[in-house]
Amino acid sequence: MIDYFALALGHGLLAIALLRLVVKQGLDEDPLIGSIKDEANANRKATSAAGRNTARRERDDAPGENA
Amino acid sequence: MLDLVLLAFIGFVLVLGLRRPFLWVLLYVYIDILAPQRIGYSMIASLPVSLIAFAAAFGGWLALDRKEGARFTVRQGLMAMLLLYCWWTTGRADFPADAATKWDWVWKALLFAIFLPLTLTTRARIEGLALVLVLSVATIVIGTGMKTILGGGGYENLKFFVNDNSGIYESSTLATVAIGLVPLIWWLARNGTIFRPHWTVTAFAIALTFACLLVPVGTEARTGLLCIAALGLLMLRYTKRRLMFIAGAAMLGLVALPFLPQSYYQRMATLAAPGGDESASTRVAVWKWTIDYASKNPFGGGFDAYRSNRFEYTMPVKTTDGNTTSVEYREVVDEARAYHSSIFEMLGEQGWPGLIMWIALHVIGLWQMERLQRRWKDADDPKGDEATRWIAPLAAALQMGAVIYLIGATFQGIAHQPVILMLVGLQTALVTYCRRIDSARGLLERSTARRHAIADKIRGAVAA
Repeated sequence: MIDYFALALGHGLLAIALLRLVVKQGLDEDPLIGSIKDEANANRKATSAAGRNTARRERDDAPGENA
Repeated sequence: MLDLVLLAFIGFVLVLGLRRPFLWVLLYVYIDILAPQRIGYSMIASLPVSLIAFAAAFGGWLALDRKEGARFTVRQGLMAMLLLYCWWTTGRADFPADAATKWDWVWKALLFAIFLPLTLTTRARIEGLALVLVLSVATIVIGTGMKTILGGGGYENLKFFVNDNSGIYESSTLATVAIGLVPLIWWLARNGTIFRPHWTVTAFAIALTFACLLVPVGTEARTGLLCIAALGLLMLRYTKRRLMFIAGAAMLGLVALPFLPQSYYQRMATLAAPGGDESASTRVAVWKWTIDYASKNPFGGGFDAYRSNRFEYTMPVKTTDGNTTSVEYREVVDEARAYHSSIFEMLGEQGWPGLIMWIALHVIGLWQMERLQRRWKDADDPKGDEATRWIAPLAAALQMGAVIYLIGATFQGIAHQPVILMLVGLQTALVTYCRRIDSARGLLERSTARRHAIADKIRGAVAA
């Protein structure tokens, strides 16, 4: 009797836990590491675009260069 | 009926795994700990469920997993070396047939422990594994605890689901594992996201902790008592009101005393005076024999090398006749006594190289958990970042579990116990996960600094 109760309780909780895991966000991709990486990528894109723009502007502003 | 229910559960997880293949890894953990194929009687016993789950877990990871963030670490390398070394010693073992039998499960446990961290790449997965580990052991512990309260305990008397003294169903091993998991139970109760902190979760954690503490009582495993003492001492480090804690523990102990059976006192009394107990006195003899054996065979004798030992010694035997108790010293001959200690098990079976690898594996783990606790201590603040607050407490729980296991392992031959190797896998995964956060944050800092520098430059150019 006790064995059946323990088996039922253990398996019941395991079943609920696994069901919740299946629908859980962030099981296969970590949200924390993902968000840090996204931010770093955004920075990189911004700096590369901004970097290009600044370089272009400096080139354009330089007197006599385009003449 | 029982077979059908267990099979239905396994089928249910296999189906769930179609959507999230990681669940097959958890299924293997559950099967490896609980051994449902041995709880059932007919159908389930004939199916290779363990093999099916392992194939699904490994195949699912290989074919379907993103594998992002999977790293091979030093400790996995150590386990791989140990695995190769054990394979080599099995080939030249003193008792080839017995060694092959043990090798048959040891290689699986080691291989799974090497593989496990590769799959634990996110917080949810780390928590999922910890939860399945705890709930699988809990299923055994709940039954044991209830039987102890309702009577029917006693060394080698208490019946588990499986009664062949193998794996976790050996009373001392179960006692050690149950006590070692108590810190993890409380980590899950406080930091869980699958079962979030709630009064029902706390109530279950209290009941489960109580059941875990009852395992050494119910099974009358002496090692378990040492493990409880170790748990108490370790918890002192994390308690703010230490005096209150000591007083509370003493009270609890005093309250528990009247409920302990007489046989328990008698068995525990042999802790202080090992002379009167065969199990305790042969232990010392076996340990001496092992040191001697290792000096002749420094590379070990393969699994089950203890089978060649033989001891003759005198032991006091008490006989009571009416009012008189006479103590008689009798010659006792013992053969093929097991090591009763993981340290000597490693030394005798795998020699000095094996022992060094095994100790290194666990000492590195303790050190890494200590470092993680210090590194993430500030995050463990109620006002701290929710995303990393769980790290330091988990490192603390895993470290306490490892210390309790090592204490238990000093008096039992459980060097390759699968549950413990899974805990090693969990520790390794946590270390790798934290390293990934650190390296991602490092990249972010550098990119932010660069962005600011360029923004300043643009501002300078515009102003000019």
